[in-house]
Amino acid sequence: MRTRVLLSGGAVVAVTLLGVPGVAHAAAKSDEISKCLEEKQAAHQTDYSTCQKAPNPILPATSEIIWGAISFVVLFFLLAKFAWPGLKKALDARADKIRESLDEAERARTEAETVLEDYQRQVADAKSEAARIIEEARQTADNLRQDLRRQAEAEVAELKQRAQEDIQAQVDRAMADLRSQVGELAIELAEKVVERNLDHATQMALIDSFISQVGSPSA
Amino acid sequence: MIGSLVFPPIGHLVQWKGILFKGTPFEVNKTVLIMWASVAIVFGVFRTASRRASLVPTGVQNLAEATVDFVQNGIILQTIGEEGLHFTPFLLALFSFILVGNIFEIIPLVQFPANARMAFPMFGALMVWAIYNYLGVKEHGFIGYLKHATVPPGVPKAMLPLVVLIEVVSKFLLQPFSLAVRLFANELAGHLLLVTFAVLSTTLLTAHTAFLKPITVLPAVMLIALTGFELLVAVLQAFIFTILTGVYIAAATSHEH
Repeated sequence: MRTRVLLSGGAVVAVTLLGVPGVAHAAAKSDEISKCLEEKQAAHQTDYSTCQKAPNPILPATSEIIWGAISFVVLFFLLAKFAWPGLKKALDARADKIRESLDEAERARTEAETVLEDYQRQVADAKSEAARIIEEARQTADNLRQDLRRQAEAEVAELKQRAQEDIQAQVDRAMADLRSQVGELAIELAEKVVERNLDHATQMALIDSFISQVGSPSA
Repeated sequence: MIGSLVFPPIGHLVQWKGILFKGTPFEVNKTVLIMWASVAIVFGVFRTASRRASLVPTGVQNLAEATVDFVQNGIILQTIGEEGLHFTPFLLALFSFILVGNIFEIIPLVQFPANARMAFPMFGALMVWAIYNYLGVKEHGFIGYLKHATVPPGVPKAMLPLVVLIEVVSKFLLQPFSLAVRLFANELAGHLLLVTFAVLSTTLLTAHTAFLKPITVLPAVMLIALTGFELLVAVLQAFIFTILTGVYIAAATSHEH
């Protein structure tokens, strides 16, 4: 549609211009001027101004207008038809590619953020799990220690009890033994005292020997 | 001596002898050859770029895409806006054709800008005029467009006849005229400047008086500087012509003043 618009615009202008015939056909005249100038130079005259009936440089030549119009319209047509679509496709493709890459990057970023969050949550979970395990272990160890201590204390108490009982038994036995031996000795002594009337020195010797008898294991 | 300075008549600097079809309305001269060359160069660049289009642009594709980008972002989006992007091929052709035609001013051996002749500027301006008026009528209807184009809102009733007269003259006569003359006059003036300093340099260098020869440096330096300046003018005038086209189209089709 717009191509047609522009083309018809161009056509209207071209027709208008062609409808106005011949503005300047100066080429032939400029030949004459060159000739005039050459003649004057050859004749060493300096009044060149008489030659300068040059055509108006502002007015365009019809052929230049026609060719200018044709050139531009052809160029526009060629560009619009054979160059612009490909160029536009390439530009659009690049824009799409860039947009895609940006989207892709955004997606990757979001994904990475999710993964990071997951990971952080997992780390936090693991940390609290570890803390829980440590606490549990600590409590278990505590309980165990208390149990062991209680057990050890009980054992110690029992051992002490048994040792005391053993000692008591030994003491009792020793006392019983002693009692019976002392009784026997007393009887023996009494027998000896009765057998002999003794003087003081003899009594003392007797007591010493008795004591040493009592002290010796064979007694 | 300075007296031997021969400056050719301006007509000789811009009017060229026919080469083909002499004497017919299809006469081909240097100006026409430059126009043909412009068509070939512009189409060649964009066609090559579109055929070898790759995702990562290089060489001629870069040039073509930079030009497209300039026309779209620097001209269309600044004037018409998003809805004007379908004018890209037209404005691209317009900008490139004028630019290449202008640049021939500083191409050695050619050294003539096609737009120093009134031919294309006139055709281009009339074409733009026809297009923006057509688009305006299409957008607003005939009466609606006349009102849109010539009656600015908020003008006191007493002032209206004067304002409308000014608007009519400006929109329908002066705009195309100034559009054409701006391009043509700039290119013609640039061409005349370069010719002036070239003629001066040549005259001084070939002068019979020896002490004049070193002075050649002055116009020669000026000539080099102006050649660079003309490149700037070539780009600038192509840009101005195209952006004004955008501005006129935008003004004709807009719905707010």
